[in-house]
Amino acid sequence: MSNNIMSEQYPTLAQCALVAAAFKILLFPAYKSTDFEVHRNWLAITNSLPLSQWYYEKTSEWTLDYPPFFAYFEWTLSHIARLVDTAMVRIHNLDYDSWQTIYFQRTSVIVTEVMLVYALQLFMETSPLQSRRAAHVVALSIILSPGLLIIDHIHFQYNGFMYGILVWSLVLARCKTTLLSSGLIFAALLCFKHIYLYLAPAYFVFLLRTYCLSAKSIFRPRIFNCIKLGGGIAGILGAAFGPFVFTEQMPQMLSRLFPFSRGLCHAYWAPNVWAMYSFTDRVLIHLAPRLGLTLKEDALSSVTRGLVGDTAFAVLPEITPRTCLILTLFFQILPLLKLFSKPTWENFIGAVTLCGYASFLFGWHVHEKAILLVIIPFSLVALRDRRHFGAFKPLAVAGHVSLFPLLFTPAEFPIKTIYTIFWLVLFLMIFERMAPASKKPRFFLLDRFSTLYIAVSIPLIAYTSLLHQIVFGKRYEFLPLMFTSSYAAIGVFGSWVGYMVVYFTA
Amino acid sequence: MAAPSPSTRKPRRKGKKIDEDIDRVIRTREETLVRTPSFPLAAFLWPARSSSSQWEVLPLILMVVGLFRWAAGLWGYSGFEKPPMYGDYEAQRHWMEITTRLPMSQWYFHDLEWWGLDYPPLTAYHSWVLGKIGTLINPDWFALFTSRGSQDPNLKIFMRATVIVSEYLIYVPAAVVFARRYGRLTGVSIWTATVGLVAILMQPGTILIDHVHFQYNTVMLGLVMACMSSLLAERYKWSAVFFVGALMFKQMALYYAFTIFAYLLGRCTFPKVNFSRLFGIALVTAITYGVLVLPLVAGTIYDTYRGVGSRPDLDGPPPPLPILAGLTEYIDTGSFYYPVVEMVVQVLHRVFPFSRGLFEDKVANFWCALNVVLKIKNYPTELLQKAALVATLLAIVPPNIIIFFRPRKATMPLAFAATAWGFFLFSWQVHEKSVLLPLMPMTLLLAGRQGLNRDIRSWVGFANILGAWTMFPLLKRVDLRVPYAVLTLLWSYLLGLPPTSWNVYTDEGFGGWSQVGTATLHTLFYVAMAAWHVAEAYVAPPLHKPDLWTVANVGVGFAGFGLCYLWCLWRLLKDSDLLPSYATKTKTQ
Repeated sequence: MSNNIMSEQYPTLAQCALVAAAFKILLFPAYKSTDFEVHRNWLAITNSLPLSQWYYEKTSEWTLDYPPFFAYFEWTLSHIARLVDTAMVRIHNLDYDSWQTIYFQRTSVIVTEVMLVYALQLFMETSPLQSRRAAHVVALSIILSPGLLIIDHIHFQYNGFMYGILVWSLVLARCKTTLLSSGLIFAALLCFKHIYLYLAPAYFVFLLRTYCLSAKSIFRPRIFNCIKLGGGIAGILGAAFGPFVFTEQMPQMLSRLFPFSRGLCHAYWAPNVWAMYSFTDRVLIHLAPRLGLTLKEDALSSVTRGLVGDTAFAVLPEITPRTCLILTLFFQILPLLKLFSKPTWENFIGAVTLCGYASFLFGWHVHEKAILLVIIPFSLVALRDRRHFGAFKPLAVAGHVSLFPLLFTPAEFPIKTIYTIFWLVLFLMIFERMAPASKKPRFFLLDRFSTLYIAVSIPLIAYTSLLHQIVFGKRYEFLPLMFTSSYAAIGVFGSWVGYMVVYFTA
Repeated sequence: MAAPSPSTRKPRRKGKKIDEDIDRVIRTREETLVRTPSFPLAAFLWPARSSSSQWEVLPLILMVVGLFRWAAGLWGYSGFEKPPMYGDYEAQRHWMEITTRLPMSQWYFHDLEWWGLDYPPLTAYHSWVLGKIGTLINPDWFALFTSRGSQDPNLKIFMRATVIVSEYLIYVPAAVVFARRYGRLTGVSIWTATVGLVAILMQPGTILIDHVHFQYNTVMLGLVMACMSSLLAERYKWSAVFFVGALMFKQMALYYAFTIFAYLLGRCTFPKVNFSRLFGIALVTAITYGVLVLPLVAGTIYDTYRGVGSRPDLDGPPPPLPILAGLTEYIDTGSFYYPVVEMVVQVLHRVFPFSRGLFEDKVANFWCALNVVLKIKNYPTELLQKAALVATLLAIVPPNIIIFFRPRKATMPLAFAATAWGFFLFSWQVHEKSVLLPLMPMTLLLAGRQGLNRDIRSWVGFANILGAWTMFPLLKRVDLRVPYAVLTLLWSYLLGLPPTSWNVYTDEGFGGWSQVGTATLHTLFYVAMAAWHVAEAYVAPPLHKPDLWTVANVGVGFAGFGLCYLWCLWRLLKDSDLLPSYATKTKTQ
């Protein structure tokens, strides 16, 4: 393509967002998970109860367990919701899903996604001229992401809005003059959804080094900046939590926000280290007699093995939350050291990505949806050169394939698979053409791994979605799930190792 | 732009050079000399301009188009939760039931009150294949009697999948081949033809009727498209095969029959009479008919041989034939071939329902519009039948005479469209869904020469949006307002048409008074359509005229479709170089 850089790129972000929105409206009658009822219940709670009872209310099992800004957000929405259908905002109206409710809730997801469109537009505009074409492609890949489509527009959540705020904050960190707003927006994001705490260490180190400490010497703090940032964050936290401190709900709220009683693996195994660990354990059960290992009987008899939450290991040692925390922190600190010594924006995005990776791979009770925490920041730098792209490729495949079990109804099967294949073919093809050659030599092993990995996905999808049913029928239902999550775990893990290498050698 | 007769034009090699036509799709901004796409669909395919191979872009297009179809299919279908009779969905399902569960001789006789089979044999075979596959998955879906009105959500998924698979086996390949061939013949680049192809595949009418409302029109339309494609390739015998297939799938394909006949006859007559070609085509047509009827005949003979009657519920001598009752004077009702005669007559009787009224429900054609002024039901049926015949003939004779004397490849779709409009507007027993028939060849123009320029794009867009709009009352009955709005607006947005943009009328500068006239006329109609939607949604019709909005829809629809007919006829006349003034004008340009 011989376009000069000055010309606008086609299709534009707005055009893509518009056509995607049309598709999303057509998906209104699609399957929706319990998250739909969760959010309806929150509309009802915030609309019909005084603030002092929001975090105590428990008529529905889906109690309010997001931080206050999200509650305020639901409160705002509920004013419109009441006009659309009053029955929607009644607390005792459990599992209510009239057409009006579906129209309203699904539309609110589409409309709030405008935040993401705005943030990506800003990302394109602030990109340096020579990488603007790449930024454009990256922005399109995020707005058309199958992850957001599956999680937000079918399964039901507000990730488009949340990641919009995150990308906005990440983009503002690019420029010295907007560092403060970047930090404050991130603080506000934490008050929307606390899962972003996983990325907070990178923000802390980056803002500390670039904003609070002098660029010339790390021993000279910039007091005025510290006061501005500290005061700003205190103000935001005050706005968020103040009313709840005032109504004495804080301990109750915290117990809702951080429920430590959950198991190591979520209902469907997220593709992380613990999925591989469980898989190994499962294989070892059969090898144990030959290897002379002892089996823990109580774990063997557990009927729910492989399917539901509390995983007990038969051969391998148990994993405690403390182990998870230590591993997570350790692998977060490694990239942060480099960020501290070289606080460039690219390193910052890299560190955010690696913080996401570490918490996803080693965290306790990780949800597969959290993979977006890695994919979206990584997308922003995936086109820096071929080495970055090489590490990104298996993540793009694994991360999205691992979301497939979220939708298990036959009507949505063609949508999730064909849309994901479409996205992978289109964007991996374009990325392949656009990623510039790296100045550093590429890693032969990593390249081969990517190619082989993508090739394996085809028979795997065929097996899990079709062959397994034909061969086994309803038996061994955990097998396809286990294969999917182990396969995806290898991909995420491999891409993490690959990116760690790229990050530290860049 | 002197237009040499396209038939003498050699097919161009692909991607040889970007011709002048591409300039119209790409608007050149004088001041910066930067080219930009002039409507969103061109923008979406923008990065593919330089791609040398269509095979990279085509799979992606087919995936996206398929996704939109499947997502639209998540909505309800005709007759969903509407007992006692349900709707077209139940009809199609029921045919799968009777073809897989009953002996062949009973297919056209079984309980006619409950969606009796009234499509030609190829539909019956198609239903049989789908029914057999469905039975493998779940036999209850097509169990005799007990499955009637089934609302099983998995059955819905299966049925939706059968529509998509049928379409991807017939309509989609035909459209791909047609767009490429037509584009190449009329000298447009592959990229431009691909833009046209996407516009054809995203046509709101077909998606709404087949994938939302539920029918298999694309099978018939696809076969006709394959026939047209074969005509372009000068494979006349194949075109006969495809057309007979279309006709044997859905009798509605008769709308095109005159044009195919006139075009083929023209091709066999000019420049010199070619009897062997004519004879070959006739022979192939007859053989195809025979082959397609053969299974039904063989099945009936076999059933007679093993003593299975066509109507096990009746005792005594065979009942009189429903039509052509005089035949029994020459044929012995006891003879071995009588069941075959009875079956053939029954098929004809079922497929061509002359006994029914002039039109069904409210449809935007002449008779229904006239009904507002004169109460047509008061006139004798025979008179009306004759009037319909005469009016239809008057409407279809001009385009067919033109295509007979000037059988050109480039103007062929126009003749198809004009004839189908004639039928739609004036013939007997027209359905609102039949508007898909004239729309199909008209939309194909988008893939041809200047197809994406102002004139053709605005008229094809107008016809399609008006067509979708006249189907709104049908779609509203089963709460399909949302997919209607989304698919129609999306298509108009992609092609830069009203109501999302009026650029199509102003894009290429001032183009004379005809352009101003077109823009004004179209704008009037678009405003009327929008106003109608507002009125229909918020204003209750007066008590003594409960059908007011539907009648208004019919009136506006008829006027608009009448204009589309005239436009097709005018373009055909102009592009056939039959007008002396235009012929000289184009030469001096």
